[in-house]
Amino acid sequence: MATTFEKRRQNVGVLLLTPALIVIAAILGYPIVRSALLAFQDVKLRAGKLDQVWVGLGNFRRIFSDEGLQHAALNTLYFSVMEVILVVGIGLVLALLLNQPQGRGGFLKILLVIPWAIAPVANAVLWKWILSSNYGVLNGLLKSLGLIDNYQVWLGTPFSALNFLLLVDVWKSIPFVTLLLLAALQRVPVVLHRAAFMDGASSFQSFRHITLPAIKDAIGIAVILQTIWSLRVFDIVFVLTRGGPADGTVLLNFLAYRVTFNFLDIGYGAAIANVIFILTFALAISYLWLLKPKTTVGAE
Amino acid sequence: MQSNISRRLVLKSAALTAAAAATGSLFGSYAQAEEAALSVFGPLPPDPAPPGAAKFAEAAFEAWKAANGASVNYELLAWPQLHDRMATAFASGSAPWDIMYMCGWVPEFESFLLPFVDSLPADLIADLPESSFKTVTSNGKRYGTVFTLSLLTLFYNKEHLERAGFKEPPKNWDEFKRYTKELTRDGRFGYVANYAEAAGIGGAASYWMAFLQQAGGTMFGEGGLPVFKSDAGVDALQMMIDLMASGTEPGSISYAGINDASNVFMSGRASMMMNWPYMWNPAQDPKQSQIVGKLAASILPAGPAGTASIDGTDTWTISKASTNPEKARKLIEFYLDKDVQKRQALDTGWLPSRLSVLGDPEVQAKLPIAKVVLDQAQHPYDSFVTADYTQVSQAIGTEVQKALQGQKTAVEAITEAHELVTAIVKRRG
Repeated sequence: MATTFEKRRQNVGVLLLTPALIVIAAILGYPIVRSALLAFQDVKLRAGKLDQVWVGLGNFRRIFSDEGLQHAALNTLYFSVMEVILVVGIGLVLALLLNQPQGRGGFLKILLVIPWAIAPVANAVLWKWILSSNYGVLNGLLKSLGLIDNYQVWLGTPFSALNFLLLVDVWKSIPFVTLLLLAALQRVPVVLHRAAFMDGASSFQSFRHITLPAIKDAIGIAVILQTIWSLRVFDIVFVLTRGGPADGTVLLNFLAYRVTFNFLDIGYGAAIANVIFILTFALAISYLWLLKPKTTVGAE
Repeated sequence: MQSNISRRLVLKSAALTAAAAATGSLFGSYAQAEEAALSVFGPLPPDPAPPGAAKFAEAAFEAWKAANGASVNYELLAWPQLHDRMATAFASGSAPWDIMYMCGWVPEFESFLLPFVDSLPADLIADLPESSFKTVTSNGKRYGTVFTLSLLTLFYNKEHLERAGFKEPPKNWDEFKRYTKELTRDGRFGYVANYAEAAGIGGAASYWMAFLQQAGGTMFGEGGLPVFKSDAGVDALQMMIDLMASGTEPGSISYAGINDASNVFMSGRASMMMNWPYMWNPAQDPKQSQIVGKLAASILPAGPAGTASIDGTDTWTISKASTNPEKARKLIEFYLDKDVQKRQALDTGWLPSRLSVLGDPEVQAKLPIAKVVLDQAQHPYDSFVTADYTQVSQAIGTEVQKALQGQKTAVEAITEAHELVTAIVKRRG
């Protein structure tokens, strides 16, 4: 009887979930499948319609011989690695400071959230003004402090422009990671730190052997989320540099957009987008794995 | 077989026929009204928007709609979004517009457009610059009409030139470089440009194309393959590099749009720039400009082959899928009507494309740039648009940027650009 009831309960559950599953399949599944199919086709606007020809792995083979894409991939690798290091590093330091009694005020947390809350394009436009080589605040500030003699063109060389894009994205990303790590820090039992103190542990030893192990899952989540987000960066490139100068700030996501919508090479653009999707998907699986509750020794 | 025709039946039939006719005419009117609903896709002001969207010729527009039994629905976007919106609409088979704005994209979207130009009145065609049809002609068919003559000319600050002892603007490349160098003083720069955007009309590649023509070169040969790996191609890029070294405002490499460079010019921090005619009015507006009364313009300095420019190619086209192509053509004729073109110039600052209106004394008095543009139009102005113009100009523009930054010599950059463009053209087939 109980089994029958459980089965009926499960059936009702499935029935109730069905509409949501259909909606998810429509708005998530269909575009993913369609995009995957496009990646195996040469898709161009010809003769007044979308002309699609199967090319198998042709678009993916092209990825390996496309110097522009390889350059974008290197830019993206640099951008992602540096962003994760900077965001998680600075975020951790800020979280530790905010976890101190003096830093627990709500005002500081509100202040911290502002960069994260600003709309992405508004954030990019804001930084465009700050970095302007003509009337930018950054130039004005540095000159008034005597740190520069002349106004600098911060977005004038590929290396400088890429690093300023990095700075802008780091500035925007730090708040979320800080709050994530702060939440993890606040779950570390104070009694452990007190016990360590009684045992004569230094602050660093306490951090190294108590705090870090306790928040390592949160750090892992922050690393994965930040890597995913860094792969998706588009708005700041579009607004601040359009990929220039000399393609120095073209990241993979921007390249996928440019190839698809500017060059109308839709199949190849889909192939690039799918590579990004696969990378993101793999990272998302790692994220889910980290979120999964761990069984501890002797729990049973 | 017995006949059933009776007087009652005849009357009944007549009544039914009359009712059907009345009902039909009602439905007919409704259908007619529906047929005359036109949809127009174009840019938002301050870019060249049509009457009713921008503030000019509004009464005439209302009168045209009433006289033609047409309603006009505008879908307007910020200029940078236009191309991609159209591309996605065409790709998804859901481009609902009768009339579309194009800017050098005619060859790219040719298969979606109607070649309607030959149906326009002969006097209208004769009043448009013949060369302006070049960018809207593909495979021998003309798909659009340029509605504003927008050629790059040289804007300069009279006061700066006078202070430096120059009584007239630079006439040739040597003077252009010398002026730039000598005008770079007192915290100002001789020249400013927007080189951060590589592709498109107004991007770094398109500036190089103007210099290329001044040097006597061209982009493509008879077979459609690039032929710019030449002395002219290299000289054109070298000229840009020399200008950079002579005193081009350093931020030029980071300015993505013409407005960024224009702001520097209008603040008085640069003395010369290549600019589009529509910037004349903002540069004379005290709310936006600090060089009011100091602005002047001339045709671009001549290279070894003379002066030359590029065309902004702002064009109206008709969709092949339009259900009202005749009415759409009439609306374009209205946009190109002499009075409407005159109001366009006087009220918005966007020059007309009709030669008679460009020569109108009132237009020339309000917009002295009109005469300069007319002079510039006497010389070559080809924007070299092709079906893959964006990709081609991206490849060239990126190499131009590398050369301007000293990463490559002019020869190296042009050689690389030539190889990239050859590959693009061959891939197109």
